[in-house]
Amino acid sequence: MNATLFTNVRILDCTGAQPYAGEVLMRGNRIERVVSGQRVLPRADAMVIDGAGATLMPGLVEAHTHFAWNNAETLQDIQRMPTEEHTLWTAGVAKVYLDHGFTSCVGAATAKPRLDVVVRNAINEGLIPGPRYLAASQEITVAGGLGDETLPHVPWPEFSFGVNVSGPEEMRRAVRMALKYGVDSVKLNLSGDNLTPHADAHTTWMSDEEVAVACREAHMRGKRVAAHARSAASVKQCVRHGIEVIYHASYTDSEALDLLEGAKDRVFVAPGLSVIIKLLSEGTKYGIPPERARAMGYQRELDAACESLREMKKRGIRVLPGGDYGFAWAPHGANAMDLEYFVKYLGFTPMEAIVSATRLGGEIMMKPGELGLVREGALADLLLVDGDPLSNLAILRDKTRLLAIVKDGKFHKAPEVATRTMSQAVPA
Amino acid sequence: MANVLFTNIRIFDGTGTQPFAGDVLVQGNRISRVSSGVRSLPATGVTVVEGLGATLMPGMVEAHTHFAWNDQPSLSAIQRMPPEEHILWCAHVAKRYLDMGWTSCLGAATAKPRLDVVIRNAIESGQIPGPRYLAASQEITVLGGLGDETLPHLPYPEFSFGAIVSGPEEMRKTVRMFLKYGVDTIKLNLSGEYIAGLPAEFTPMTDEEVAIAAAETKMRGKRLAAHARSAESVKQCVRHGIELVFHASFIDSEGLDMLEAAKEKHFVAPGLAWLINTSFHASKWGLMPDAMKAMGYHRELEVAVESLKKMMKRGIRILPGGDYGFAWTEHGTNARDLEYFVKYLGMSPMEALLSATKFGGQVMMRGDELGQVREGFLADLLLVDGDPLADIRILQDRARILAVMKDGEFHRAPPARQAGQPARVTRAPAFA
Repeated sequence: MNATLFTNVRILDCTGAQPYAGEVLMRGNRIERVVSGQRVLPRADAMVIDGAGATLMPGLVEAHTHFAWNNAETLQDIQRMPTEEHTLWTAGVAKVYLDHGFTSCVGAATAKPRLDVVVRNAINEGLIPGPRYLAASQEITVAGGLGDETLPHVPWPEFSFGVNVSGPEEMRRAVRMALKYGVDSVKLNLSGDNLTPHADAHTTWMSDEEVAVACREAHMRGKRVAAHARSAASVKQCVRHGIEVIYHASYTDSEALDLLEGAKDRVFVAPGLSVIIKLLSEGTKYGIPPERARAMGYQRELDAACESLREMKKRGIRVLPGGDYGFAWAPHGANAMDLEYFVKYLGFTPMEAIVSATRLGGEIMMKPGELGLVREGALADLLLVDGDPLSNLAILRDKTRLLAIVKDGKFHKAPEVATRTMSQAVPA
Repeated sequence: MANVLFTNIRIFDGTGTQPFAGDVLVQGNRISRVSSGVRSLPATGVTVVEGLGATLMPGMVEAHTHFAWNDQPSLSAIQRMPPEEHILWCAHVAKRYLDMGWTSCLGAATAKPRLDVVIRNAIESGQIPGPRYLAASQEITVLGGLGDETLPHLPYPEFSFGAIVSGPEEMRKTVRMFLKYGVDTIKLNLSGEYIAGLPAEFTPMTDEEVAIAAAETKMRGKRLAAHARSAESVKQCVRHGIELVFHASFIDSEGLDMLEAAKEKHFVAPGLAWLINTSFHASKWGLMPDAMKAMGYHRELEVAVESLKKMMKRGIRILPGGDYGFAWTEHGTNARDLEYFVKYLGMSPMEALLSATKFGGQVMMRGDELGQVREGFLADLLLVDGDPLADIRILQDRARILAVMKDGEFHRAPPARQAGQPARVTRAPAFA
């Protein structure tokens, strides 16, 4: 098996320990040896990469990814893209994530029935480059909720990025269809959203009977359920019905927090702060000036979310970065911005932010202990970073600072090294 | 785009002259200088490619390409693939052609309405790598013709890779739909095909249907292509001005006269790989040579070879490519067609290479700027390890195609001569 030895690197292993100098040997798709200090590993049979003091850390995990969102300014625009273009777009976005150091992504929802599944399969077959991926269903919603983009005179379901259901039996059918197609998780839109002003973030739309049927069907096949849950009532629904992946959780009350804390070994929270922050600060460019963003409720939601999420962190509830990139104001690839938001808005230390994107990321990818860590036996998803992300998280947003990107033991991006080639640039 | 100077190379320029030693300078997306003999071009401000005596030749042109065929052992398998998988497959295949030195491909037909158009657009916008591409419609056919894969109890059109029409007005509507989607070429299935149940000598489409298709297509300035194995279907092509004649196996002397008289206008891409490999090399997939002989393929191959030799003699342009994308004719192995041209049709290696380059530029409608290594021409270039005139088969070997340049940019740059070990990473100055 091919072996690669990284020497002369600072190892940020993401257990929470401070970085240390050392060497890492990768063989096949696993990390075989990690040594610190002056100890050296045998060079024989390995390709040796002298890291020149760069940081070696686990690949990042995005906990709330929408490959199918197409960097548009509106929700309607997502579905203006025909199936063929949308599939190529989704495949292109998968590569963008890997290019930016995200070696794993949790699909949060897709826009047409099979986009996520097809792209996951294509990645796994090696047909296209992309991160490890858990494929999502479309957002299952109810008439008038987030995801329903039909108009009274244009009722065709193809206009909606969500799937409209009404009642438990329609829910069962929609969930079974997604499971037939091979999703890893079923997405439910439990609450409203400030982007849909008639159904704002406070509101809760889905009945318990519908949620219960969805969870039963998904869990019966061993799959997970994820929810768009901004309101306090929707967060409680998540815990009550055993929904593992909770997106947003902006509004909580003490009952919701107690419920979350009681289920903290099972649930993950990925707030996806970028939409709120970007629309408040830069929305003018996209037709949403600050006063309008405030009128839509974004300042109120940001304040509530910061308070909720700080309290969750205090209680040891797992809060992960990622979320809702793929709009004009937060295009795909900029996702490492979330780490800085965690520090600025939620009081994380840089180390805590990085650990949430790596070690906790391994947990949300259902590979706890073997993904998101630099340790012997772990899967070899690695970044070689030019600089110290603990002293400057912004480095992780800069593709050029990611000297090497390894997924499953293979270089997606190999480090630039001095080689002689048939071609040579001759300056003028 | 860096300017690139190829030095120490043998130039096969695609004009018909013998290869010569020289230098070639690429500036932007065009060939700006071609010099022969001792090195005479300035080598500053450019990337110099030291060719070590390799052959520099024009990128090859595939004249009859089906990106959407999925390397499966049957026609019905093409449409078992859902649209999402199918478009990713097409994107993958497009890259495979470029990898193998085909810098231009002429779409011969696609399997779902928009696959070819979407791939062409994605290549042109730089979203995916691929050759220059002319996008085709589905194969327009008649009930029971090649391309109709419906069953009596499963009449759903989604099962067919062809679009089925009956009568001139259905033809008009179908052609207009494909033109709306943005195809470069409308494909008509004029003759039968043994394996699809209608003999190759049959000609099931009426002149009225063909005439409407031709009128609608030409009104928008687009071209037509035809699956035309029968004698009558080749004549239909000439009568209706269908420029791209695929197969032409059973052409008769009247058809030869007609085609010769219009030889400045028409191209013939026989797709010999299909006849040869279906006849003799598909037993692994259950198509035994005896059964294929009984079906008529052995005879068609013999007749087609004689027909094509007659066309060659009359100066009718015959181009390589055709019907790759089945289990026994996998995408990317298309350069076998050049070997077939030499072996079966008696072309010289020079003639075979010119058919893939000079004629290729013409079939791409850019004969004055594509398919030759000449000053001012588009920089679609291959650097080949060896002399394809001495052994035409080396073009089938990816390892011998050292570099592929399309439109002045390397799709595949020349390989590293040696790698330094251990490799020390290059870091940004601030951290060095």
